[in-house]
Amino acid sequence: MSVFAAILIGLAMGAIFGMALEKGRVCEGGVIVCQMQMSRHAMLKMFLSAVATGLIVLSILVGFGFAKLSPKATLFAADIVGGAILGVGIVIAGACPGTVLAQIGTGYKDAIFTFIGGLFGALAFTYMEPNILKPVLTAGSYGKLTLDQLLGVPFPAVALGFAAVIIGFLIWLEKVSPWEKEIGPNADGVPEDPVPLPAAAAGAASR
Amino acid sequence: MLGITKRAWSPYTAGIVVGLLQIPAFLLIGTALGTSSSYVTISANIAQFVDPSIAEIKYAANHLSGAKNWWQVALIAGIVLGAFLSSRLSGTPRWGHSPFWAKAMGAHTPARRYAMATLGGFIMVFGARIADGCTSGHGVSGIAQLAIGSFIAVTAMFAAGMITANLIYKRV
Repeated sequence: MSVFAAILIGLAMGAIFGMALEKGRVCEGGVIVCQMQMSRHAMLKMFLSAVATGLIVLSILVGFGFAKLSPKATLFAADIVGGAILGVGIVIAGACPGTVLAQIGTGYKDAIFTFIGGLFGALAFTYMEPNILKPVLTAGSYGKLTLDQLLGVPFPAVALGFAAVIIGFLIWLEKVSPWEKEIGPNADGVPEDPVPLPAAAAGAASR
Repeated sequence: MLGITKRAWSPYTAGIVVGLLQIPAFLLIGTALGTSSSYVTISANIAQFVDPSIAEIKYAANHLSGAKNWWQVALIAGIVLGAFLSSRLSGTPRWGHSPFWAKAMGAHTPARRYAMATLGGFIMVFGARIADGCTSGHGVSGIAQLAIGSFIAVTAMFAAGMITANLIYKRV
């Protein structure tokens, strides 16, 4: 495929992706941090819905031979260390590498700084990769290991079963914690202010 | 359900839309959704002006050009565009930084927030590149492919994120 065509497809897909991130409200730092504090679950709900949909979609594409999977290699050390560093960064920034761009789109200025910080993070990695990071990155390498291979069961069977488990969990989670309450009155993950004190009590408190 | 002028979709609708994007990703581009390697493509292309020898680093060379790399750069540019349109059409444009930060950290000047955002962004993408994927590449796409490495990376991400979020912020 030509680079030009790839860019056009990327822009179109990105516009839909960005709209979904904005409408799902994961463009809000508050939504992401509250998820990590496990106090509200809009991000987890959207994330697991995307995973379950992906599992179903890929079962069909792979099952009928329309597409081949391209899972990432299993690198125990890199996955644990890198994943943990990523998690710390997400909480400090209040964004993921993808959602920060949705934040920029909505107008948040701090997101531009997050993005620039991210570019320097990528650059630092690029310079450190050959000499410093490679020994860590390749420790515990198992190649492209997937759950269906481990179980010896065809991909669609495991994927559809797993999707069913996720959907069941989400139905339960929504019952326990409805999403409309979680995003708050201004749709920014900030909950409604507690009921203000009556004037007399507030006056007494200020004295 | 998919009203473009709505302030919010249910997280389920929004997630399903993202999951369906795997169809064009696999059928047209031959890859899964991801965002964090585009940071390498962009930063290495810019760095080339200052340090042309960066192209000799194999990792940089792998990301400097090619349809898949520029597809992902276009994808993240599209995210900005989509979120911009969505927020304008639904009347949820934002500016400055979220009032959430003052609630989670006390008084929060712009300078302090921008410093934290820069630091967080650096750590976030540095970690994502070590793990070879982020919330989309490992999370949404990796788990949908049942990749063991992605289960490990996402578990580590949530575990470290939960500890950090409870250590540095007040509960809002």
